[in-house]
Amino acid sequence: MRHEISENTVGYDSNSVSKTIKRRTALIVILGSIAVFILYIFSLTMGAYSLTFTEALGQLWEAIITLGNPSEMGGKIIYNLRMPRSLAVILVGAGLAVAGAVMQAMIHNPLVDPYVTGISSGASFGTVLVTLSGVIVASSYSLYLMPLGAMIGAIVSFMLTMTVAEISGGKAMSYVLGGTIIAAGLSAGSTLIMSFSADRMHNITEWMFGSFANIEWQESIIIAIPVVAILTYILFNARKLNVMLLGEDQARYLGMDSRTYKRNMLIIVAIMTAFCVSFCGVIGFVGLVVPHLCRMIVGGDHRVLIPSSIVVGALVLLIADIICKSTITGELPIGAITSVVGVPFFIYLMVKEGKKYAM
Amino acid sequence: MPCDDTNMLEVTGLSFGYTEKNNLECIDLFVKPGEFVALMGPNGSGKTTMMRCINKILKIRSGDVRIDDTDVLRLSMAEIARICTTVPADAPLDFSLTVREFVSLGRTPFITSVWWEKEEDNRIVDQAMWDLGITKYADRKLHELSSGERARVLLAKGVVQTPKVILVDEPSAHLDIKYKVQVMEILKELSKKGLSILIASHDINLLTRFCDRIALLSKGRIVATGTASEVVTKESIKEVFGIEVEIVNLNGTVYVLPTGSVMETTG
Repeated sequence: MRHEISENTVGYDSNSVSKTIKRRTALIVILGSIAVFILYIFSLTMGAYSLTFTEALGQLWEAIITLGNPSEMGGKIIYNLRMPRSLAVILVGAGLAVAGAVMQAMIHNPLVDPYVTGISSGASFGTVLVTLSGVIVASSYSLYLMPLGAMIGAIVSFMLTMTVAEISGGKAMSYVLGGTIIAAGLSAGSTLIMSFSADRMHNITEWMFGSFANIEWQESIIIAIPVVAILTYILFNARKLNVMLLGEDQARYLGMDSRTYKRNMLIIVAIMTAFCVSFCGVIGFVGLVVPHLCRMIVGGDHRVLIPSSIVVGALVLLIADIICKSTITGELPIGAITSVVGVPFFIYLMVKEGKKYAM
Repeated sequence: MPCDDTNMLEVTGLSFGYTEKNNLECIDLFVKPGEFVALMGPNGSGKTTMMRCINKILKIRSGDVRIDDTDVLRLSMAEIARICTTVPADAPLDFSLTVREFVSLGRTPFITSVWWEKEEDNRIVDQAMWDLGITKYADRKLHELSSGERARVLLAKGVVQTPKVILVDEPSAHLDIKYKVQVMEILKELSKKGLSILIASHDINLLTRFCDRIALLSKGRIVATGTASEVVTKESIKEVFGIEVEIVNLNGTVYVLPTGSVMETTG
């Protein structure tokens, strides 16, 4: 059984992640980025004021060289409304996908999404509270009250979940259970408040199913800064995510302070998710489905999984947003689109992989 | 070649408790370089707790744990991981890491780069996988392997940590007889290369066959240490495991045959 590795094993690939998988990842990242770019331009052509693809490309170029002061009408529309919107779509897609991948590694369950720690219910509750309690008045700041409410709601619910989970032992399952129970409580709260003021329901339903319709540059930049920073941080921590797959104890056998690492990661991911949902509402299934899609192609090593998830997440949500905008009767809610596609995929996953992950 | 006078792993007067009461009481134990030592005891006797005290997962109440003549309390988890490997009973099977990706995780305590392992790390991983005969599974997913194959993958992950001490926790619990022997043979080989190995198990016959010394653990205390024939007697097994056995001596190795009944003693 014991031999030195001999010459005739030449050709044996000795990298931890095989060359095939690295090549596949490079392909996904490069082709995916090109596709994202093309669809980004395409998304700029869509809307009431329609342009051709080359016109859109030209206007984008002009907007860039004039530093945001295009002369033509089409350029102004593209620059002020469509560019920031589609940028936000890309960021939120990438953010939610990576948040999902990290959450699945931390909670040790491939069937969880970024909302598992109660973030979405918290954000909904915050929005409902702000909108329906009549705080929103016709001031220029009122546009920000809803996202602010969502943000505070998300953070508060996450902190509640963290507290419950830490007190009850800080195991992966404690986070899932804590998140579930906090979410249940907050959903009930939302329902109660809504039942008192059914007349203002429309605002809420639009947010609850997700929409990028109100995104302009300011919103887009508020989303971009934390999302880009956190994605970069996670990329640099991808190797440690692999160690976390062993579970807390076995990660410690390898010298990692896994408890602190897990807690920090959960907080960071929660912040990123909160920024994603606060402006555009709860967009389901991207964070659940995209990491799996990528795992099927490149495998479970986070050094290839995270980059793939960024690109594929952006691509998937951009496609969903284009579908939303392409109807004649007005925009479709993007969260509904991702769910319509996501649900069958999730069922497929459950049937195919569920037995393995029974817990 | 157990010859050296210094102890690679030395535990003196170790006590530990999850609550007020001590679960481990005044444990003394040592493993020399190249020695293969068993921590033998029934379920719940404190074997796993003991392991987790040695690698500092649990905080000991009193006493002293020294690895390579250094107090583990003065080492960080990463420093401990560089000299002491803990091989768990099984790997978590969710998520689709390949065997090579999984074994590479063993290099974690040594990796300083952000992203990929260095050439040296990959070479060590290759060698370990080759030695343990799992090179052919390199690109397979962990959950596709049988538990016997997985046991070797777990050992390989431990070996690439290039440790001086290997702690093995119940390696054979769910393996069939052939793979149980294989795991023990691999560990024996490793000890012959100079590694100090401490194995926690209740599999008496495997331990008597392969281990240089056995420490018999009962209710958090070590009640006997010595060679297999010194420790494994009708009386000691009856007392610690609570069952009547016959001791058989085959080619100089003692084995136990559980001839008694448990129904009579507990009923």
